[in-house]
This record gives sequence, structure tokens and C-alpha cells, in this order.
Amino acid sequence: MHTKIAVAGEGGQGVQSIGEILAEAANRSGLETTYMPNFGVEQRGGVSIAFVQISDRPIGSPKFKRADVLVVLSPRSVERTRGYVTPGTTVIYDSSSIEAPKIDDMTIGIQSWETLAPEGFADMAGNRPGKGIKGEEVRRDSNVRTVGIPAARIAKEELQPRVFNILILGAILAITKVVTVEAAREAMEHMFREKFAQRPELRDDNFAALERGLSLVETEQAGAGR
Amino acid sequence: MARIVDDDQRMFMTGNEVLAWAALAAGAEIMYGYPITPQNEIMHYWTRLAPRFERGFLQTEDELSAGFTTLGGVMAGKRAFSATSGPGDILMQEPICMAEMMRIPAVWIIQQRGAPSTATVIYGQQETRLACFGGNGEGHRVVYSTSSHQELFDYLIKAFNTAWSYRFPTILLGDGYQGKMREAVTLYNPEDHGVKLVPTEPFVGRPGVPGVDRAPAHYRNTFNIEEEIYEIVHAREEEFEALTPQIVEFESGYLDEAEMILIGHGIVSRAIKEAVKLLQNKGVKVGYFRPVTLRPFPVEELRKAVEKVPAVMVFESALGQLLSMVKEAVGGLPVKIEAFLRPGVGICTDEAAEQVQEYLRKSSMVH
Repeated sequence: MHTKIAVAGEGGQGVQSIGEILAEAANRSGLETTYMPNFGVEQRGGVSIAFVQISDRPIGSPKFKRADVLVVLSPRSVERTRGYVTPGTTVIYDSSSIEAPKIDDMTIGIQSWETLAPEGFADMAGNRPGKGIKGEEVRRDSNVRTVGIPAARIAKEELQPRVFNILILGAILAITKVVTVEAAREAMEHMFREKFAQRPELRDDNFAALERGLSLVETEQAGAGR
Repeated sequence: MARIVDDDQRMFMTGNEVLAWAALAAGAEIMYGYPITPQNEIMHYWTRLAPRFERGFLQTEDELSAGFTTLGGVMAGKRAFSATSGPGDILMQEPICMAEMMRIPAVWIIQQRGAPSTATVIYGQQETRLACFGGNGEGHRVVYSTSSHQELFDYLIKAFNTAWSYRFPTILLGDGYQGKMREAVTLYNPEDHGVKLVPTEPFVGRPGVPGVDRAPAHYRNTFNIEEEIYEIVHAREEEFEALTPQIVEFESGYLDEAEMILIGHGIVSRAIKEAVKLLQNKGVKVGYFRPVTLRPFPVEELRKAVEKVPAVMVFESALGQLLSMVKEAVGGLPVKIEAFLRPGVGICTDEAAEQVQEYLRKSSMVH
């Protein structure tokens, strides 16, 4: 077992926290793990990427070219992380900020479209074979799975905007099962112990978001490519 | 020296944090520093830990000052160190050269970033030459190039012992990936692992009358006569060469029957070791060689490793800095030297394996 996960988003969206919690949870589960931030000179803003590897054997290079799981949380981060998608990659994205065709274009890798794929391609994301805009058969051998989570919308409407990233984390756990929910919860208790002690409502908000992310996937509210 | 942990303790932390703990374990008494990414957290963690363990810290106005105050600390008999990166590393070379000339056992941590100039704050191996031969001088310094958090811990402890044993300035050469990455490490008290800390002593202000009770403390970096400096540099070189067998370190694997040997240092060596395992699993006969000390360079060991090999491939996140050291080391041998040079960019396991396979495929077509 060796899983390479890249999480990308805007600075301030909490992508590094997602990476850190995943790695901390993996380490607590007795697995080998590396977490590496990719950061720019900006203090805020800019695309931020977290690289996590989880394995049952020692890990070589901490950086990788192709991800088993790619999480993209903003339109700009889609552009930045195109190259990480390979056959077999699962792409998890925030469907409330990224339109499905963009993901579809990226994952299928249709060379003839220089601009974003037309809306019609949205229906063909995921693994379903389908017809192209001119009715031609589109080969789906790229075998890339896309899962859209309306995370920003749900966080804003049902929870707190600030727990957006934890909701995403819940979805990642439900989809990839790289670490258990219990391990993730333990990791968060450890990492945020001071904050949780000062403001216990933060614990409730975060764990509620984690649960919501899990249940979103489990109840299949997450749309494939929508 | 106070114990830093009760027993061996597995932790999950950033490399910069590991280094602060390692400096504590090594008995470092004071750090002099000036902030620069990606090594800032060494200073941050050190300033958090130092008061608990009665150690000292001084933030100076720049890296020149941080380097020279480190030398001052050592001359007062303190186990002193500094840490820097990139443009700060350039400024630090002047005090490092003074340490070479005056044989001051100061320790530096260098976390390489992109270069030249400000470049990126992220990662690179473009300070390899600077760490080994920076400044005006002949590179009479020890440079350890680490590849994991455990090595950051082990080799910083070793760096202090090497410095104080042989009185050559000693550098631990890491990079931004190692500084910022989190992975597991086991912290320990050196004595629990049979590692004795080499004692320190003051260079100046010792008791007794100079020339009567003891030899005078006369540490010079200024000379008037050409021949004088000629003799000193030769004496340094002879001493450095004589110590080389005791200090030099390398790591290698799968050398037997190898069609190609992959060479890399620091964090890149993780990628090439993993690539070699990948290729071996596919039945491709390749091996690896990793210099752990870049100064002194494992010349004899590398020559022995490659003497029967048709080709080597050098991997580095720089444009030929390790490559030139390898070329110099293997000079005269019939080995073909290939290179995969990625200045300022990380090297991944898969791409290293692909490069080698592509080369072997092409060379088999030629034959």
C-alpha cells in the first residue's frame, strides 16, 4: 500500500491543515508517512499545495509527479495541478467553486480543446462512457474518477465557512480510506488541543464538518463530475 | 548535560524542529542567528526550547554578524552554532573562511533554497558548491549532506563532535524540503546510544601566563609574507587529507553486476535509492552511490564503485555542482557520465527510474 495525495487550493483555504491532519493520523496509525508543503513567497494568497504520502514501507522522494488522489479546491489550483493526474487518479474537487466541465477537461485530457470543454462534457465526467459534442464515442480509458463535493456551499449554509477544509477532509477519508476516521479525530485532538481547550465549540464545529463530509459521500450526495 | 527525553521517543515533526532538538541533544550551548526561509523554524524552536534547558540565543543584525558571533562563542569555549540559507549562506561564507583559517570548530546548518539570489524560498541543491568551497579558500571544512529526519538528528550530533574533534568548521547541508517536511524521527539522548559528546574548551582567556604556564593563544587570519600562507595552506591540506579516512562517509547498494550506477546526495538520494529498487524489481541491473560527506568527498570509494561499471547517472537539483565533483573524482576511469540536472526542482522516484530506463534502452539499441 502506497498512496500519494496532493491537496491544492488558495492560500488560506486550509489545504495545508488537511495534509497535516492526514499525515499525523497516518503516523498515529503506525504507517510511514511524509507531509510536505509547497509554499510561495506570499504570506497569503497564491496556490498552496500539500503533498502527503502514506505507505506501509519507508518513503523515497517526498515529492511526486503523479497523484493517486488529487484534491482541488479552487479554479486556479486546477490549472496548477493538471500534471498530477494520471490513469487511476481519483480527483476530488469543490463543486461549488469549480465547474464540472473544467475538471472533466482536465481528467480526460482531450487534446483538441484548447479552451474549457463545453458544458456537455460535464455529464461525461467520472467513469461513464459517453458521446462527445459531435456525437462521437469518447474513449474513457483514462480511468480517472472525479468526485465533486459542494463543500464551500454546505460549509457556508449549514456549518461555518472556516470548517470548509475539514468537510473536505471527511470526504477524502470516505473516498480513499487511507486512514480511519478515529485516527483523524485523534490527530485533530492532538494538533488543536490548545485551541480546543480554549474554545470547545471549535471541536464541535470541526467534528460536525468531518461527519458531514463523510456522510456526503456515503449518502452519494457527492456527484460524479457534477 | 540534561537529558532531552526520558527514553528514545518517536516523534512526528518538521525537519527544522528536529534540528532544534538535535542541537539540544548535541549539547549546543548557544545559537546565533538571523532569520531566512526555509530555516526560520530552527531558530523559533530553539528559542522556545533554550530557556527550558538553560541554553542561549542571540539574534544578530545579519548573517555576517551571526557567523562571526558564532566564532566568538566557540572561542569562549561554547558549543555554538548558526543556521542559514540562500543569500544568508553567501554572507556566512566570510566567517566560515575565518573558521577554516583559524581552525575554529563552529557548526553551521544550511537549508538550501532555490538560487541564484533570492530565487525561491522552497528548495534546491544549488548551495552544494558554496557549502563545500564557498568563500576565499580551499574548502577545508566538513560537509554532511543528510536525506531524512533521522539523519538530521544523528548528523547534527555528529557534526558537533567532528568539529570539536578535528577543529575544522563543520556544516550540515540540508534543504527546504527537509526543513519543512514532516516525517517520523526517533529522538534520543546521545549517551543512551553510546555517543560521547566531545568536550569543549576555551580558545582564549585560559588561566596561566602565556608562554610560561601554557602556550600562547595566537589565532591568526592575517599574514604578511607570501611563503607563510603557502605553508599554512599546505599544512591544512595535508591534515585534511590525513583525516579524510576517519571522516569520509558514503552509502551504496546493488553495485554488483550493475549496468549503471545512480549517484545523488541529500534528499535526492532517497529518490535514486527507491528508483534502484523499482528497477531491480523489474530485473534491471542498476545500483546507487550516495556521498554522505561532500567534504571530504569519498573519492576512493566512488572510484572503486564505478571502476567496472559502463555508465553512471548523476541526479541533482542543481546544474552540475555534484556532477563536477563526480567528474573530478572518477577522472581517468573509462566510465560514461550521464546526468539528470534539475536546478531548484525536486527529483521524484518515478522520473529517476524513467531516465535510467530510457538511457539503457537507447544504449542497448546502439550496441
